Amino acid sequence: MITSQVNQLLSCTLEILQMMLESGAEIYRVEESARRVCQAYGARRADVYATTSNIILSVEVAEDEIKTHTRRIQQIVTDIERMDRLNSLVRRMASERPELSEVRREIEAIKHTPVYSDPVTILFYGITAGAFYVFFGGRSLWGALYGTLIGLCVGVLSILFGRMQTNRFLGRFLCSLFACSAAFAGHGMGLAGDVGFLIIGNIMTLIPGVGLTNSLRDLFAGDSISGALRMIDALILAASIACGYIVTIFLFGGVAG
Amino acid sequence: MTPWIEIIAAFFGTLGFAFLFNIRGSKLWYAALGGMLAWALFLLLAPVVPNEAGRYFIVSVCTTCGAEVMARLLKTPASTFCIIWLLPLVPGGALYYTMTYGLAGEWMLFAEKAVYTIELAVALSLGIVLVTAAVRHLPYFKSKKCPKQAQKTR
Repeated sequence: MITSQVNQLLSCTLEILQMMLESGAEIYRVEESARRVCQAYGARRADVYATTSNIILSVEVAEDEIKTHTRRIQQIVTDIERMDRLNSLVRRMASERPELSEVRREIEAIKHTPVYSDPVTILFYGITAGAFYVFFGGRSLWGALYGTLIGLCVGVLSILFGRMQTNRFLGRFLCSLFACSAAFAGHGMGLAGDVGFLIIGNIMTLIPGVGLTNSLRDLFAGDSISGALRMIDALILAASIACGYIVTIFLFGGVAG
Repeated sequence: MTPWIEIIAAFFGTLGFAFLFNIRGSKLWYAALGGMLAWALFLLLAPVVPNEAGRYFIVSVCTTCGAEVMARLLKTPASTFCIIWLLPLVPGGALYYTMTYGLAGEWMLFAEKAVYTIELAVALSLGIVLVTAAVRHLPYFKSKKCPKQAQKTR
């Protein structure tokens, strides 16, 4: 392999790995993908170390030719469609070994994986909140509708904070503060029987469930550092949500049953 | 009546999350149906396994197995379905009550609910982790298709 090709292989692989991590893949999947791809393209040895915040990939193609590149991972947003496409690309690279220029084109296509438009996302924030209101025991129709309404607003807020690149913890705190306050306000107006179900329904959309699950998977797969990092991240997010609730209680005074 | 309402609500709740996680096409419906079935299984097992944490564990194991099978059929990462199917089991309610009791200063109830929440979360994740760990051994029995690189070079 000539130098330019090695560089290209490294940059393509890293691009794939970075996108995988950013769409919420586990560490072992990322590392295994790197090894498989590099070996398929003729590397004598490929060493990869990935955490939730960076990737180091070192490839040895000949005795005197070893290359190492790194990437910084900024933020992780669960995107299952993208993860799925990346996974198929890795499979194809490992088995068919397509030209790197073709891989490059494929990567560009994956970068532009469609996401649901803002209105659809907002709508499903609402539906999720409404559904979990009922799921956890809320039985009034008005309550369900009001829960959905709060969910829609939380969806708008989440998207807005995402756009403004608000600090994630602050964003969760504000969403939680809004949802809990709105639930209490609705309760005051007699819209919902129980504040609790309204709040639980909306908290469900904010809870870092995926982060926590992935943290445990990493931990048990032996990737302790990433597991611990994800765990800390999820716990701080959960604490931010709890803070939103606590501040609401202080504002509205007392605990409604 | 209540179980049916819960099962239907689980369907829509999971469907909503499937959209938020950018799941597309027919997989949306698999996701929502799986979430619904996971909760149905949880309710069905109630007479057999009265302990909720125990039931969480069993449902978690079954669901993760299902997700692994699904992943192989559809050639997609198993975590796709595993995480989303178990969403109705996320102990959001228990967590909320823990917070409420804590804030109200009802320490006995708070401790009780806190332990209960942790129990559920541990049961849930233990199920996922056990199955995932077991499944990763499968290629070892099947073939030597992707041997670990470290063994090769050293």
